Amino acid sequence: MKKPLTILKATILIFIVGCSPVNEVNVYTSRHYDVDDILYEEFTKKTGITVNIISGSGGALMERLRAEGKNSPGDVFFTVDAGNLANFQKAGLLQSIESETIKNTVPPELRGPNNEWVAIAKRARVIFYNPDSVSTEDIKNISYEDLADEKWKGRVVVRSSSNMYNQSLVASLISNLGIESTELWAKKFVNNFARTPQGNDRSQLMAVANGLADVAIANTYYIGIMLAGKGGQDQLDAAKKLKIAFPNQDNRGTHVNISGGGILKYSPNKENAEKFLEFLLSEEAQTHIVNNSFEYPVIDTISPHPIIKSFGEFKMDKTSVVNFGKFNPDAVKLMDRAGWK
Amino acid sequence: MKLLNLNFWNVFIYLIALFFAIPIGLIFLSLFYGFNENFEHIYEVVLLEYSINSLILVIGVSLVVLFIGVITALLVTSFKFTGSKIFEWALILPLAIPPYLLAFVMTEIFEYSGSGNLILRSLNLISDDSSLPSIRSLTGAILIFGFALYPYVYLITRVALMNISKSILDSARVLGTNKLNTYVKIVLPLIRPAIFAGLALVCMETLSDFGAVEHFAIPTFTTGIFRTWLGMYDLATAMQLASILLFVIIFFILLERKQRSNVQFSLASDTKELEKVESLKGLKNFSASFFCFVPILVGFIIPVLEIISWSIEIENVFSTKFISASINTMLLAVAAGIITTIIGIIFNFNIRIYSSKNAQIFNNFISTGYGIPGLILAIGITQFLTYFDLILIDTGIVITGSLFGLIFAYVIKSYALSSNVLESNYKQLSKSFDDSARTLGSSKYILLKDIHLPLLRTGIFTSVLLVISEVVKELPATLILRPFNFDTLAVTVYTFASEERIYEAAFPSLFIIGIGLIPIFFISEMIKSMRGLN
Repeated sequence: MKKPLTILKATILIFIVGCSPVNEVNVYTSRHYDVDDILYEEFTKKTGITVNIISGSGGALMERLRAEGKNSPGDVFFTVDAGNLANFQKAGLLQSIESETIKNTVPPELRGPNNEWVAIAKRARVIFYNPDSVSTEDIKNISYEDLADEKWKGRVVVRSSSNMYNQSLVASLISNLGIESTELWAKKFVNNFARTPQGNDRSQLMAVANGLADVAIANTYYIGIMLAGKGGQDQLDAAKKLKIAFPNQDNRGTHVNISGGGILKYSPNKENAEKFLEFLLSEEAQTHIVNNSFEYPVIDTISPHPIIKSFGEFKMDKTSVVNFGKFNPDAVKLMDRAGWK
Repeated sequence: MKLLNLNFWNVFIYLIALFFAIPIGLIFLSLFYGFNENFEHIYEVVLLEYSINSLILVIGVSLVVLFIGVITALLVTSFKFTGSKIFEWALILPLAIPPYLLAFVMTEIFEYSGSGNLILRSLNLISDDSSLPSIRSLTGAILIFGFALYPYVYLITRVALMNISKSILDSARVLGTNKLNTYVKIVLPLIRPAIFAGLALVCMETLSDFGAVEHFAIPTFTTGIFRTWLGMYDLATAMQLASILLFVIIFFILLERKQRSNVQFSLASDTKELEKVESLKGLKNFSASFFCFVPILVGFIIPVLEIISWSIEIENVFSTKFISASINTMLLAVAAGIITTIIGIIFNFNIRIYSSKNAQIFNNFISTGYGIPGLILAIGITQFLTYFDLILIDTGIVITGSLFGLIFAYVIKSYALSSNVLESNYKQLSKSFDDSARTLGSSKYILLKDIHLPLLRTGIFTSVLLVISEVVKELPATLILRPFNFDTLAVTVYTFASEERIYEAAFPSLFIIGIGLIPIFFISEMIKSMRGLN
């Protein structure tokens, strides 16, 4: 009597899960770049470990992991934005990474407080401007705070406050300036918007290139994608009209965020998960990331893509990326109150 | 035998209803968790804005879909004019393009260097440094939803018009009613249930959309829900907001039902369509053609041409990824279509035969699933299935994260579509069939199998196809519930669009539209054959 039931169970399992090889690593990711698919294939080629992917937004994956509890098949969480990583860590979904290789490769400020996660790549949130309509005087030594000044009225574009990149930027301001000053700043900053926030970072750059605004806040890799011609001729032409300014070089430095990953708490394939993260931090994988997603590497031996490198070196804000997660709820509410749509 | 059937039906109904009610119930349960400071923040700062925007959106979209949907349906049914035979099916075409995709495409067209502006500039209609107004506004969103969703109203109204007994109209004319009066006094009241059924679907679809309003950065109820969840990582508050939204949706459903019950709808079996009494000429002919052409142009031709123009810029087109995504999408859609329709038939059959209040209440309750934002529904399902797994099998996850969860979500999401069609089909089926069959001693099973199913053929077919076209477009629930390494076409498009590589979304987009066209082809064939029968 017992046997048929077991067979039934097994059949259901096979039917539902599909034929799964034993040697695998299950990756929950909210990074859905094609670049990554090639990386995963490369990893499988090298190690013989199959990479299974489930992608979705950070919040959605978190609920799925919570629901799955200790039965979760998930091994690795891989995402963009430290805010997402910090939220996973706070929810207790990650375990400390023990790999010495990883600890030796990545500096402590780019890891979780107890090594729950580690940066895989970096991106800076900078100011893009149109040199025809912005004077050298105005853009020189500019800071995020300066964009609240009256002289920028009707000249600034930035995407919606629903976007995690903006939430982390504001969270970093809160951690540096405090809530009250940041809210005061945000209210004036919102007053300077050339239009209701809309579109993604690329469309902010297009708006400046087309003269709808003079300055835009966006991530560095977008201009890389556009200048490399990956977004078509229009975007290439538009990108050529733009210049880049790294804010806050006089004081704390430019806001830098990360793509990063961690090992999930109930990982059934922990060893493979470690190997996977180690691979992402290898020179080979870092070179691939840098040249295809136009992010900055986290290891010193690799240079950024020549296009990104041409923008020059800059001082990075060392505000712990941990704070982005900590102040995220405050940042969202603050932007609501300031009327940042 | 009869007794067994009766029991089977009842047990089946309650089990199914319970099963589908739980994920929705879990969402309402959130109202009892207590409200935290995030809810207070939302209540004080942004809730009013969310509500007003959602309200304006729904009213605006309703006006647009009524204006386009009802008038086009009346035109192609009652008159002959240039292209009327083509418009008859072509008016359904926009159904193949989901609102979020139409929003992506229109944004590109209205961009400063988008094709819309380039064409206008090259024709010297606007100067070189000016451009079209931004489509990313509340008005823009109303138009997007209007042109994407009017086919629901058109389609259901059209089918209802074809089913109006000619004898009713003939009697009206014999009694001396003039043509306009015939329409206002006799036709409109007869098709009102259909119009409201279509309109209710449009309202629910509009309220639960996320992709389009998010792209346009319009703070509505759904954007608020997602912001709270993904921005504040506060699912409890997000689910509480979702519950409020669900109450609004239930209100729509009740309103629509009340309207419907006001209309007695037992028609004679003679289902001849309205005779095409008049061939339009001159200006009237041109106006009718123009009025029918514009929605097709905006809702289908322009977006498809735009996407084709993107595809030309792409070199690497077909990959195994696309092929597997296409196969996945098709299999899921067909499975969901059949399952949903079977459940819809069982419920509506029971409501009809037993006048079962309970079945009606459950039916209404599950219909609210249509209005639940996909992401929130997915959470309800994930939570439910996890309990299920824990009870069923003590080792490892089985059902959570399987195709079962996905199909489960699709059935809940699209049940209202199926049930609405079947119900209005049933309403037009005279109860005298049932009575005669019962008098002749047929069992209920025989009644369903031999009499109802053949007569409901059109409705069943429409139901399966509507569900398929809905599933092909579904995005947010799919993102969460799909198994490992499992992409659908909608997921592929979303991936490219969110990575800001809209050109590369061209082929999967065309695939989605292509698959969406298949049900449309069948629907139009069906309409043609209905016409041919007469």
